[in-house]
Amino acid sequence: MTLLSVNDITVRYGRLTALRGASLTLNEGEILFVTGPNGAGKSTLMKAIAGVVKPVGGSIAFRGETISGRSPEDIARMGFSMVPEGREVFGSLTIEENLRLGIGMRADRDQAARDLEMVYSIFPVLLSRRHQHAGALSGGQQQMLVIGRALMAGPKLIAIDEPSLGLAPKVIDDVYQTLVKLRDTIGLTLLIVEQSATRAKLTGGRMILMRSGEVALEGDARELASSDALKQAYFGYGEHGK
Amino acid sequence: MTEILQVVFDALSLGSLYALGALGIALIFGVMRLVNFAHGDTMAFCVFAMLWPSVDAAAIVFAGNLPAWLLIPFILAVGAGLSVLSEIIVFRRFRNTNPATMMIASFALGFVIRYFLLMLYSSRPKSIDLWSNLGLPVEILGARIPLLQVITIVTAIAILIALTFFLKRTRFGLEMRAAAENFTMARMLGVRANRVIMLAFALSGMLAAAVALILVTQTGTADIQMGGNIMLIAFIATVIGGLGSLPGAVFAGFLIGAIATVMQVVLPPEARPFRDAFVYAAVIATLIWRPNGIFMPKSAKQRV
Amino acid sequence: MAERASILSRTIATPVILGLLLTAIALLALLMGSGPFNQTIIDIFIRVILVVGLYIFIGNSGVISFGHIGFTCLGAYMTAWLTIPPPMKKMALPGLPGFVLEAKLPFWVGVPAAAIFAALIAFFFGKILMRLSGIAASIATFAMLALINQIYSNWEDVTGATSSVVGIPINRSIWPYFVATLVAVAIGYAYSISRSGLALRAARDEATAAAASGVDIPKERLRAFVISAFVMGGGGALYAHSVGVVTPDTFYLGLTFISLSMLVVGGMGSLSGAVIGVVLLSTIIQILRLFEKGVALGDTVLTIPNGVQEIAIGVIMIVILMRRPAGLIGNREVGWKGFRKA
Repeated sequence: MTLLSVNDITVRYGRLTALRGASLTLNEGEILFVTGPNGAGKSTLMKAIAGVVKPVGGSIAFRGETISGRSPEDIARMGFSMVPEGREVFGSLTIEENLRLGIGMRADRDQAARDLEMVYSIFPVLLSRRHQHAGALSGGQQQMLVIGRALMAGPKLIAIDEPSLGLAPKVIDDVYQTLVKLRDTIGLTLLIVEQSATRAKLTGGRMILMRSGEVALEGDARELASSDALKQAYFGYGEHGK
Repeated sequence: MTEILQVVFDALSLGSLYALGALGIALIFGVMRLVNFAHGDTMAFCVFAMLWPSVDAAAIVFAGNLPAWLLIPFILAVGAGLSVLSEIIVFRRFRNTNPATMMIASFALGFVIRYFLLMLYSSRPKSIDLWSNLGLPVEILGARIPLLQVITIVTAIAILIALTFFLKRTRFGLEMRAAAENFTMARMLGVRANRVIMLAFALSGMLAAAVALILVTQTGTADIQMGGNIMLIAFIATVIGGLGSLPGAVFAGFLIGAIATVMQVVLPPEARPFRDAFVYAAVIATLIWRPNGIFMPKSAKQRV
Repeated sequence: MAERASILSRTIATPVILGLLLTAIALLALLMGSGPFNQTIIDIFIRVILVVGLYIFIGNSGVISFGHIGFTCLGAYMTAWLTIPPPMKKMALPGLPGFVLEAKLPFWVGVPAAAIFAALIAFFFGKILMRLSGIAASIATFAMLALINQIYSNWEDVTGATSSVVGIPINRSIWPYFVATLVAVAIGYAYSISRSGLALRAARDEATAAAASGVDIPKERLRAFVISAFVMGGGGALYAHSVGVVTPDTFYLGLTFISLSMLVVGGMGSLSGAVIGVVLLSTIIQILRLFEKGVALGDTVLTIPNGVQEIAIGVIMIVILMRRPAGLIGNREVGWKGFRKA
C-alpha cells in the first residue's frame, strides 16, 4: 500500500530552483534511500515533505491525504517523523525532555510510556544521562537522541537526513541495525537520505538517485549501488566519494 | 542598619517591577524574535481599563471599583486579551518577515494603542485612587517599609515561581521552551506554532497587567505614557540578560533596579534628577565589554 | 576614478529629480502666498531633512535606529544656546558657560554649529553603539534617545528642564529651509554613492560576504551614523528657528514615530522613498488635521476626535509593512525613465 507519494514537485529559493519536478512513491514497511551528490536537492525534498518549505508546483500525499500546503505540525501529527540534517537537539532541554516532546501529540499515554522505555533500551546511554542537558552530549549520542525522539511520536514513517554524517563506523552500524529492526518488528517505514550509496548497498531496499533537483535513477538498492549507471550519474562522485 | 534594609527593599521592589517587565518582553522574543514595542502601551491600556472613557480631567472610575478579587483577574484578562488580539490581528502576518520589520510594526501598533487611549481619555494624567492604604508602612526588623513594597516583592516572587513551575513542569511549558530554542524543529515534532505563540502573548499580556496594577497603586495616576519608561528598562534588561534568556532577563531586571536605587542614595542631591540617565549610560557602557549581554543563552549560537 | 564617474552618471538623475520636486513645492508656497500655508511647507522641508537624515543611517546600514531624534534635540538646543539674545539667556539659562551667554550669533551660524555638535556627540555614542548589531543595536539607540531626553528634561540651568525655551529668532522665509533641504538630499545622495555607502549597503544585504571581503562594518556604520546625525542636528536647529520655541518632549517618541513612519512608508532603502514618504504622509496628516478642526459639510460640521491622525498613520504604517515591507518605492530610486534598482 502506498504510504507517501510525491508528485512532480518544484521548490524555489528566490531565483534558485532546488527541486524541479521530483517524484517518488514509498510503500508501507519499505526502506527507501535517497542518494545523490551535494546540492542535488535531497534535503530540500525532505523539508518539502515535512512542510517546512512550500513547493510552488506539484503535490504530496501521505496516508492518502494531500499534505502539501499543510503546516509542519499537522504533518507531524499525521505520523510523519522527521530527523533533519545537523542533529537538531534542544540543547537547553534535558535528554528526557527532548524525548517527551515527541509524546505530546499521542492520545495513548501508556503506549508513550512504553515507547520511552523502548528508546532507552535501544540507546541505554540516553537512560543513564537522561537528566543532563542535551547540549552536553557527543555528536553520536545526539544522533541517537534525535532518532529516539523521532520514534517517540509513534510514527508511521520516519525520514532521516544523513544519519551517518559525522558518526564513527561502529555507531553507524548500530543505528542502521536499530532502524532495520524497527522496520521488521513494528512495520516502520523508512526514508533515508545518504550522500554515498555504500549504506544502501549494505542495508538493501529501494533507492533513488537525485541530480540537479530531479530524480535521475530509481531501482533496487543493491543492484543500483553496484551498477555502472550510478557511477556515471555521479560523474566521479562514485560510491567512495565522501 | 535600618537604612540599609530600607535601601534593600527599595531595590527589590523596583527590581521586581523591572524584572516582570523584562520577562514580558523576553517571553515573546523567545518564541518569535519580536521585540514588542507595544508592551508599554499594553500596560497603559490595562490601567485605563479601570476607568470609564471620558476626556474630562477627573477620572470616572468604573471597573476600578470592583473588589480586588474580581479586579485583579479582570485586569489580567484585559492584558492577556489585548496582547493576544495584537498577535492575531497584526503579528501573525509578520511571522516570516525579519525581526526589524516586526519591531517597527510593533512600534506602530504601540502608537495606535496609545492614541486610541488619547482619543477616549485625553492625554492629561488622571489621578486614580486604588488601594492607597497599601502605602502605609509596616515594621520589618526595625525598619519602616511601605506595605506596597512588600506586596510588590512578594507578588513578583510568586509570579516568578509560578512561571518557573509552568515552564519546567507542564507540557505547555516544555513546548514553549523548545519553541524558543528552535521553532522549526519544535513544529516538526508536532508542537502547534499558533498555540505556543498565543500562549506566550497571553502570558506577556498578563505580566504587563501585573506591572500596570503595581504602577497605578504606587503612583495613583493613570497616564497614557506610563508604560514607556518601564518598557525601555525592560528592553535594556533583556539585552543585558542576553536576548532570549528568561532567567537572564529577570536577573538583569533586578540588577538595574539595584543600580538605580544605589545611585539614588550615593549621587549628590543635585545629580539625582539624572539618575535614570546614569542608569542608561551605565547600561550602554556594559555593552562595551559584553556586547551579547551578561548571560549568553545556550542556544545563542544558532541565532543571528 | 572612472568607476566613480560611471556611478555618478548612472545615478545623478535621482537627486536632480528630487531637487525639482522640492523646487515645485517651494514655488507652490510662493504662489499661494498665505502665512499658514508657508508654515506648512516649511514643516515639510524640515521633515524631509529629518527623514533623509534617518535614511542615511537606517537605509544604508539596515539597522533600525530609534535614537536619531535625540540628535535633532541636540541640534535644536545648540542653536537656541547660540542665537537667543544674551539678556534672555541670562534669565532663563544661567548655567550656560560665559562665552555662550554672551554670544549672539545669526541663525546661519547657529544651524551649522548645531549640526556639527550633533555629529560630534554621535561620534562618541557611535563608538560604542556601532559595535552592536541587529536588535541589540536598535534597543541601544532607543536607550540613547531616553538618555538625551532625561538630561535635557532635568538640566534646569542649561536647558530649562521641561519648560519651553523661548526667544529663538524666528525665520519665516521658506528659502533657508529650501536650501538646507537641498543640501540634505545632496548629502544623502553623496553618501549613498560613496565607497562607504556602497560597502555598507553590500554589508546590509550580504553581511558575511562583505565581512569576508574586508569591509570594516562597525567603522562604516560609524561614518553613516555621524553623517546622519549631522543632518538630523541641522534639521533640529532649523525646526527651532521655524517655531521659536523648544522643549525636550518635542524631540521624543512622537517625532521618532512620525519620521520613522515616513521613511517606512516611502521605502527604508531608498533616498527617493524617504522624500516621497514625507510628501505623501504630510499630505495625509494635513487633511486629517483639517478634519480635526472641523469641516463644514452643508449644515453639519464634521469633526474627528484627537488622536485619529496618529492612529491612521500607525495603521497605514502597519499595512505597508504587511503588504510591502520595503515600502512603496522599495529599494529603487527615481531616474529619468521611471524607477531603477538602487
